[in-house]
Formats: sequence, structure tokens, C-alpha cells
Amino acid sequence: MSTPEDIASLRILKETEPLREAWERYTKCNETLDDTRALLDDPDETMRSMASEEYNSVQEEVEELVTDTLPALLIPPSPTGNLGALIELKAGVGGAESCLFVVDLLRMYQRFLENSDYKYTMVSTNEIEQGGIRDALMEVSAPGAYDLLRWESGVHRVQRVPHTEASGRVHTSTVAVIVLPLVTEQEAQSQQLYRMEDVRIEVMRARGAGGQHVNKTESAVRLTHVPSGITVSMQDERSQHQNRRRAFQVLQARLMDQKVVRDMADKRAAKNNLVSGVDRSDKIRTYNYAQERVTDHRIGLSLMNLSSVLEGDGLGNFLTALQKNYRESLMEQMLQGN
Amino acid sequence: MPLLRRLTSLLGPSQAARELQWIKKHALQARLSVEDLVDRRMRDEPLQYILGTQPFGPLDIRVRAPVLIPRPETEHWTIKLSEAVSPTPAKPFRLLDIGTGTGCIPLLLCHLWPKGSVSACGVDVSDDALTLSRENAKAHGFERGPVDLELRNTFQAVRANILDPAFTTSVDPPYDVVTSNPPYIPFHEYLDLPRSVSRFEDPKALFGGPMDGLDFYPAIVKVLTQDGFMNRNGIVALEIGHQQGEDVHKILKQTGKFKEISIWNDPWGKQRTVFAKM
Repeated sequence: MSTPEDIASLRILKETEPLREAWERYTKCNETLDDTRALLDDPDETMRSMASEEYNSVQEEVEELVTDTLPALLIPPSPTGNLGALIELKAGVGGAESCLFVVDLLRMYQRFLENSDYKYTMVSTNEIEQGGIRDALMEVSAPGAYDLLRWESGVHRVQRVPHTEASGRVHTSTVAVIVLPLVTEQEAQSQQLYRMEDVRIEVMRARGAGGQHVNKTESAVRLTHVPSGITVSMQDERSQHQNRRRAFQVLQARLMDQKVVRDMADKRAAKNNLVSGVDRSDKIRTYNYAQERVTDHRIGLSLMNLSSVLEGDGLGNFLTALQKNYRESLMEQMLQGN
Repeated sequence: MPLLRRLTSLLGPSQAARELQWIKKHALQARLSVEDLVDRRMRDEPLQYILGTQPFGPLDIRVRAPVLIPRPETEHWTIKLSEAVSPTPAKPFRLLDIGTGTGCIPLLLCHLWPKGSVSACGVDVSDDALTLSRENAKAHGFERGPVDLELRNTFQAVRANILDPAFTTSVDPPYDVVTSNPPYIPFHEYLDLPRSVSRFEDPKALFGGPMDGLDFYPAIVKVLTQDGFMNRNGIVALEIGHQQGEDVHKILKQTGKFKEISIWNDPWGKQRTVFAKM
């Protein structure tokens, strides 16, 4: 019989297996290098050139192991690695033009997710009469979606001549994006994110006599988490029950988000980390139409192909670069002994 | 006039925007014209009949005029009932729903309770309701098969009238749970009903009697307090109108057959359900 300790050690063994493999490959490579080095001065020319060829290729492998493979394996697995995401977009500065940019950003995420085979559901969209969307909420439930998209949180700025602008003047507008970690009901309970008695549930509007007297849909629900003051209103679904379920999903995601931020602060992870050090209210990216340019201000990366970003393929470049940046900052912290 | 503006004149801006979204989605799926659907809504037809469904808990219930549209108040107490008592496959319940309409109450309970723990019977006087509740049972996989080998919950619809002296023989007692959302609107309130209710929904599902709208409760209570109609520890849950709590409480209490009678409020703070244990 295996004891709980055995199981724990076995799990550690299993989790560290890739590390062991990489280390073994590294040692093997070094042995090969030692063996081949002697042959580099071999009197036979054919032998010399074969040796030098092998030496170079093995050296390349060592370099890759040292700079990429091993460091990546040393980073502890992400505690949020299995979570899906809720993406919230909200029009900011710029009125109707900002609402139009919400539509563009929404399409950018939708295209990107479609191209990467992530399924998404639109939870709610709040359209305005002139065209455009004031705010939208989408759910990407696949595990890993949160870690993939989390660095999209922040203020996105657009510089362009709005369709509505007759004089051809360039406007600057903003849209706030918030990516929240999606947790299941069970996870929320096991993480003790909230206590049910701390949540006030209100139904919106009076129904008069109610019951058989009324068949109008009155399904809006508002939740208030009293200790944190977080409120969530949901009214896009056709029933009480559905709106309530959605509202709890958003509340759980908000509370989980607070927990993730708190945990990071506790670990001082923000210290040398460009990305997580950015406040939600800071502008993180600019989309400049005249210059066909998208710049991410946190990592100083500019792509000179705005349409490819908005059509969905280019966004992947930013996500990869931000991911890399985050890993590097985690590595730095480890080296500094945090 | 643009569709949104037309609907806004009937429903106000935010409700209009939401309903238009749902209507558009339905029109796209069912290949219907959005304009036609909005026209119907402008003539006071309930949104639920236009869309053909109403979510009820996690179920999508089919609705069709004139069968009563499931209400959120009913959804709320049905879910509460499902948590208040819990049958098991080892100790399954027989459930009777009087005036079943779409079948929403027993079907939601079939969905929420463990597999193989409930066999439900919904009765109604309306052929439209019997047909529709059978459709709903089939759509959610609760129709009763000729032989049920696997563990599942089942629903069957039976024509019967609670006011008919022969009611008991047509429903094959005993039962463990009786639920009902009987007609409870009194005459003076019936005249003030919104047109979407009075013109489209079956008066037989709404009108509870000329005086106080309480005609059906004594009839229901009389049947289920007959010897042998309910099993031991039987449960009763009856939906009531917004001002009928005390009266219906009294009707049950007078029989002396209930150990415990309580009144549940709906999410809007109105007395909505009388819950009793025998």
C-alpha cells in the first residue's frame, strides 16, 4: 500500500520528470562535446569536418537547453493555469466612437479565439442606438484561457478619424478591457471566495401582483457581495434563474481576480514585473490607424500591421511577447531569491 | 418607424432593447421575419409565445397559446421545493401536479431530483395543455416508456378535473407530493389584467372564481385529505395569489390533517406558495 507521503513524492517525481529529462540531455550533450573536442584536431580532414559539424550542432542544442528549456521548466506551474476567462469590454473616453471601438476589439478577440480553436459565448452586449456597443461580456470557458488572455486587462487606446467625423480630425478614444479568471461553483466554494450569507440577492423592479397576473419578462438580478462592496447586475438572459447563475459566475470571477492580485502582491511578484505592475487604469496599448501601428506600452513592442492585429492573427504576437516577458520576470525574481 | 423605437413605445428603452435582441436571435434561427415578430409583439402578444419557449430553471419549456406561460415566481418556488424535500431511487416519490399546463413544475422536479427518484403525473382539463406537456416531457426525455429498464424520472399527462367527483379514480393514488398552480385570479382583478395576459392566456388557467378567486383550494384540499390519497409524510405545495396567503393557510389548517403549514414569499416579497406537510 502506498502512503499519502508516497503519493506526494510520486507526484513530485512525475511533475519534475521533464526537468530530469532536460538535465540528462544537457549532461549527455556536454559529454558529446568533450568527446568531439578531441577530434577537432584530428589529422584526417574528413574526420575533422564531421567532428566540427557535430560539435556545432550539439553546441546549439546546449544553448537552447540553457537559455530556453531549463529556465522555462524551473518556473512553477501557474496556479491559474486551468482557469477559463471572462472578458469584459467597456467603452471609456470618446463617447460613440469609443462604443464603435468596443465593436472592433470584440471582433479582434472573437477572430483570434476562432482561429485558435477556443470556444466563446457572448454573455451580454449592451448596444447603443447609433451603432456601437457600450459594454460587452464574453465567456471563454476552456482551461488556460485566463493565462493566455490575462495581460489584455487595461486601457486600450485608439487614434483614428471616426466614421462619424466629417472634418477628418483624428480622435483619441479608449476602451477598458478586464480579463477575469472564470471559476466553477465548486472551485469558488473550495477556495472559500465568499460566504452565501454575505451575498445580497435583489430582483429588479416591482411586478405588481406578480404570479398569474403578469406575463412580462422581469428577469434582472443584482448581487451585492457585502464585505467587498462588489455588485453585479445581470439582465441579458430570459429567466431569473439564468441571470442569477450568470451573476454568480461574474461575482466569483471578480472575487477570484481580487484573490489572484492579492496573492501576487503577497509574493511581491509585482516588484520587478513590468506587466503585473501596471494598474488597470493605465493605458497598455495604442491602435494608431493613420500609421497602421499597434504599440504595447508595457513591453515597447510595435507591430506595423494594425489590420492583422484587428483581424485576429497579429494579436497572437502580442500575447506571446507578453507571456515571455512575464516568464522572464518570474525567472528574475527567482534569481533574486524571492 | 425603426423596430427598436416601436418596441420602446410599448416596453420602455431597456426592456425593448433586450426583447429585440431575443426576437432577432429567434428570427434568425427559425427563419422568420423580425418585422412580423415585432408586429405580433406590438399587438400585445406575450414574448414567450412569439419565441415559443420560456426558460424554467435550467430547462427550456415549450410554450404555445393559450397554455399558461411559466412564471418566474413558479420557477422560484419549484426550485425551493426541490431543495426542501429530496426523494432517492431507494425511496422514490409519486408526484401529482394539478393543472399542469406546460408541465413545467413536474418536469423541473424530474430534472432536479436524482434519476429514478420520481414518477410524476400531471393532470389538466385542457387538451392544449395535455398535448404541450407531453411534448415537453418528450423534449426533455421524461416521457414514460412502455417498459422502463433504466433508472429515470418519468412524467405522464392525464385528463382530469379536480372539480369532478370522479377525480380520485382517474389519477391512481396514493401520492407523496402534490403540487399545483391553480387558477387564482378573482373577478375584480381579472378585469384589470394586462392585455397580453387576458387576450392570449387561457381563462381556465387564470380565473379562480367570481368572489375571491379561491374556488380551487378547497377542492384540492378535499381530494388530498381523503383517506389513502396521500402517503405518510405527504407534502403539498400550492401557488397562491398575492393576497391569498391567510385564506389558503386557513383552508388547509381547518382540515386538521397537516403537521406543518408555512407560507413562502416570492423574490419580489409577495406571499406566493403555501407549503404543508401531513
